[in-house]
Amino acid sequence: MISFLSKLTGPQNDGMKRILGIFVLLMMVYVVTAIINPNFLGSYNQENLIRRTSLFGILGVGVAFVIITRGIDLSLGSVVCLVGVGVPWLIIDQGWPVPVVILIALGLPAVIGFCHGLLITKLKLQPFIVTLCGLLMYRGITRGFTGDQTAGFGTELKGLRWFATGEIPLRIGLDIPVPAVILMIIAILAGIFLNRTIYGRYMLALGNNEEAAKFSGINTDRMIILAYVISSGLAGLAGLLFVLDVNLAQPVDFGNFYELYAIAAAVLGGCSLRGGTGTILGVIIGTALLQVLRNMMNMAFLGFQRAEFAVIGAVILSGVIADELAKRAVARKRAAQKQK
Amino acid sequence: MGKSFPGVRALKDVDLHIRKGEVLALLGENGAGKSTLMKILSGVQPRDEGDILIEGENVAIRGVQDALEHGISLIHQELNMATNLSVGANIFLGREPKKRGLIDETTIFTDSKAYLNRVGLDVDPQTVVGDLPIGRQQLVEIAKALSVKARILIMDEPTSSLSQNETNTLFQVIKDLSSRGVSIIYISHRLGEVEELADRVTVLRDGENAGDLLHSKINHDAMVRLMVGRDISQFYARTIHEPGNGVLEVRNLRTPEHPEHELNFSLKAGEIVGMAGLVGAGRTELLGTLFGVTPAVNGEITVCGEATAPQSPEEAIKAGIALVPEDRKQQGLILEMTVRENLGLASLKQESPKGLFLNDSREGEITQKIIQKMSVKTPSDRQVVQYLSGGNQQKVALGKWLAMEPKVLLLDEPTRGIDVGAKQEIYGLMEDLAKRGIAILFVSSEIEEVLGMSDRTLVMHEGRITGELSRDELNEESIMQLATDNPNAA
Amino acid sequence: MKVSYNLCLISALAAFTFGLASCGGGSSGGHKATYAFVSNGVDPFWTIAESGVKAAAADLGVHADVLMPAAGAVEQKSMLEDLLTRGTTGIAVSPIDSANQTDFLNMVAENTILITQDSDAPDSNRLVYIGMDNYDAGRACGALVKEALPEGGSVMILVGRMEQDNARRRRQGVIDEVLGRSHDPTRFDAPGSPVVGEDFTILGTLTDQFDRAKAKANAEDTLARNPDISAMVGLFAYNPPLILEALEQAGKLNEVKVIAFDEADRTLQGIIDGTIHGTVVQNPYMYGYKSIEVLKAIHEGRDHGAGDDGFINIDARQIRKDNVEEFWADLKKKLGKE
Repeated sequence: MISFLSKLTGPQNDGMKRILGIFVLLMMVYVVTAIINPNFLGSYNQENLIRRTSLFGILGVGVAFVIITRGIDLSLGSVVCLVGVGVPWLIIDQGWPVPVVILIALGLPAVIGFCHGLLITKLKLQPFIVTLCGLLMYRGITRGFTGDQTAGFGTELKGLRWFATGEIPLRIGLDIPVPAVILMIIAILAGIFLNRTIYGRYMLALGNNEEAAKFSGINTDRMIILAYVISSGLAGLAGLLFVLDVNLAQPVDFGNFYELYAIAAAVLGGCSLRGGTGTILGVIIGTALLQVLRNMMNMAFLGFQRAEFAVIGAVILSGVIADELAKRAVARKRAAQKQK
Repeated sequence: MGKSFPGVRALKDVDLHIRKGEVLALLGENGAGKSTLMKILSGVQPRDEGDILIEGENVAIRGVQDALEHGISLIHQELNMATNLSVGANIFLGREPKKRGLIDETTIFTDSKAYLNRVGLDVDPQTVVGDLPIGRQQLVEIAKALSVKARILIMDEPTSSLSQNETNTLFQVIKDLSSRGVSIIYISHRLGEVEELADRVTVLRDGENAGDLLHSKINHDAMVRLMVGRDISQFYARTIHEPGNGVLEVRNLRTPEHPEHELNFSLKAGEIVGMAGLVGAGRTELLGTLFGVTPAVNGEITVCGEATAPQSPEEAIKAGIALVPEDRKQQGLILEMTVRENLGLASLKQESPKGLFLNDSREGEITQKIIQKMSVKTPSDRQVVQYLSGGNQQKVALGKWLAMEPKVLLLDEPTRGIDVGAKQEIYGLMEDLAKRGIAILFVSSEIEEVLGMSDRTLVMHEGRITGELSRDELNEESIMQLATDNPNAA
Repeated sequence: MKVSYNLCLISALAAFTFGLASCGGGSSGGHKATYAFVSNGVDPFWTIAESGVKAAAADLGVHADVLMPAAGAVEQKSMLEDLLTRGTTGIAVSPIDSANQTDFLNMVAENTILITQDSDAPDSNRLVYIGMDNYDAGRACGALVKEALPEGGSVMILVGRMEQDNARRRRQGVIDEVLGRSHDPTRFDAPGSPVVGEDFTILGTLTDQFDRAKAKANAEDTLARNPDISAMVGLFAYNPPLILEALEQAGKLNEVKVIAFDEADRTLQGIIDGTIHGTVVQNPYMYGYKSIEVLKAIHEGRDHGAGDDGFINIDARQIRKDNVEEFWADLKKKLGKE
């Protein structure tokens, strides 16, 4: 198991330690919530948590690639909105055939990511600016073409909605939500890509030092563009699944702030905004932690629901602080050993 | 004036004395303890045991501020200046004179001017530091040290990025300062400079005093003997042998930095060609163009008969050209990654079965082979590169090309800032690679190195190749003449 | 350099202030009167109101704009400021955060005719409030809860946010009616802790700040926390459909009663299907229509028909299975859908 995990996480420094640290934090939140409200551990709630983690996790995995290449993608929430609102709007309101719409929903975000990548590598624009403009544009476009109207499937398309709301029965008293299977497939592919292929190695290398990577003969531009394609593409998939799950999407606020949840999860999971480090498993556990925290506020601290964001912010901050302190302790130890 | 501190842990009972107005050269291989010693003196790092005495008085140095107050000033190897601020602002950084709560620009201007005069630097204090050549920046640092009334000036590898002219100016300033009673501790790997400059030499080895040499006894061999603890009869490994067929042919090449000049030269298999010139002569830029970093404006580059016009390092590498850049920390290595990952990076694709997946066992094999061949000193191939010494880092930066067998190897200042032992190993490697038929072009600002290693030498001046010297014609004067493009110079 | 910049700024400010004064104050003379209807967000509810505004504008021969702020109170504020700058004759607004907007609303009221609709700002100088009494509407909703659960039970309330006066009163009305308390709109129960009565327990109130995914998660978490819950009340238009989604996925449709507010399509369909017991609807069409009518009357100095408290009541209605189809057909007609 451990060797399998390390294959997925790769031989990156401190990667496993980080994952272990955040996993312990997740378990602590689990234990505390379960003690306060035993229903927390019920299969219904656990299935809900798994489904939410899976949906947000897809976003997190996507943005992790961009963060690893020392970029940032602020447009994710708006891509979620574009796809989440656009799909029911095209299918229900405009009557387009479902396969065509699904194709657009998965293809268009990839094109968006490709454009982001081109602007960032060829025109040398800063990722923050490019994707910030994306954040504004895609939501604005969505509001424009729908006339700000809520879009939803109503009682139709039950078959397609299975991908978001369906469950695969297991004999262990816990059914596996379909999105979890989708995330699992994505995570394994992403893990293999990042740690077992040369392109993953290229991304890690250029995230650490783009110039040196270029001097080693790596086509860094192509890798950066690829990272943005992955990020936007997965955001599109997540947007599709979100709307299939929630069943109605409002152009004004669908997917609002989701880019920040995704970035927070990636950072919690060990991606450094300085680039070059990050593990897929860490990102997924980071996402789970965020979702469990939100659930915890409802399950155990109902009176403090308003403080939810404060709690999430505090947990992320303490996680990052703890990590930094641990790193310093290691560095001190190393320095001490060197002196001997 | 004396100074001693027995018993620091990275250092074992090191004694160091310096007299007023003396130029003391501190020598030692990397890791011998020079840097630690200097950090303690300048207050960057606390000492564990021992005393520091200035004019007989025991002083406690707990921080950089204490050191400055006692007149000890360190000029770091990599200059520590705010390159976006003016010369004057840098000299008074953190101690800005104030008038009515605002910075007093007039005083800064006049006082800076005075200090700049003392180091013989004629620049307007309002010039932005980043616009000055590196040699002048160095002089600004010295002016800054003078402005804090430094009595002891520690200079760590001050000439590593200076041209010969700039070095000469710096030496004049140092001699002038010492005649005014400033004591100077001079750390350098360049033994020629030490011979010229130092009144006395103290050599450290493995954190201990290896010995002192007085003025009359300072010579190259004696210093090397003390540093490495053994005799080095043949420092440069070069053996003369016949070059093979032409490998690299450059015709009418115009680089983006100096498009007004056309460059022509060629390299043969097994040949080591040195490239001399002052800093800013356009040598690094030429290598950059050959390697596709800054693609050529026009001209022909032919590798083994095949024309190529590399638009990126990727294309240059495909054509068989490899570069070990001057700035190894920024361009040559990915410091945060392991030895293994760095060594494998350039050849990943070629070693990957379907051009997609990593081949772990093959990577391990290649890595081990290179580590052994280059005797890289690392605890394991999973060691992160930034924890290696400078010399071993350079071996990794060079080693990553060995797995892919380049036809042309470009080296930019291959031994900059590394110790004598590692230098010698790098020279040995260059020799080995040449024997295997690789054509090597190396840029160096150390004349000694060019003299010792090249079969043939190209000299550049302001973006132009001003001449080519065969081994017979090669000497310090002939290089300097071409490098300054002054046929009448001595 | 600096001085001249400051001068520029001052003169620009002066020009702005002057323009504001001249446009706002002098609106009665000269050009045609224009009215604005400002919502508190973007929602189908407001689309119905918009059709009311348009109908009134056509009937009365005036110009009326409908503005919907998407980004909360900050955007609503800048929308109102822009309206003043443009010289709008009268504004009907649904304040997002009435308690904290009082000063600002008073500033608006000084410069133009200001009335409130849907949600009131009782402490401000607005001239008229058109809406329903949300407390009464809440009690009507509470009555539906008691109807659905004659034996009593446990109830969770789900709402977008509690900062709005209408949401607060609506919720309190539900609680007071369900627990059989006296009529007192000023009462306030903390949202986090359960309120226990004889037959009913109000488990709590969950807010989602308009995040739909969060709203659904709130419904799911409620089911996880209280597997044997009797009913859920969704107080904002999108809440009931999301409650249905959660129930459907949990396989608890019909098992847990749903009492709704407003008239989302899915809500009305739920009433027809029997998965929702009933809903309380406002009359947003009339909010829109009446707002323009009243603004025009005030502008022309005629009687606007409100009492001393400036309140014009538009009654809320209870919709159950028996009257849902008739209501829905009428709604579609007003929206021009059929």
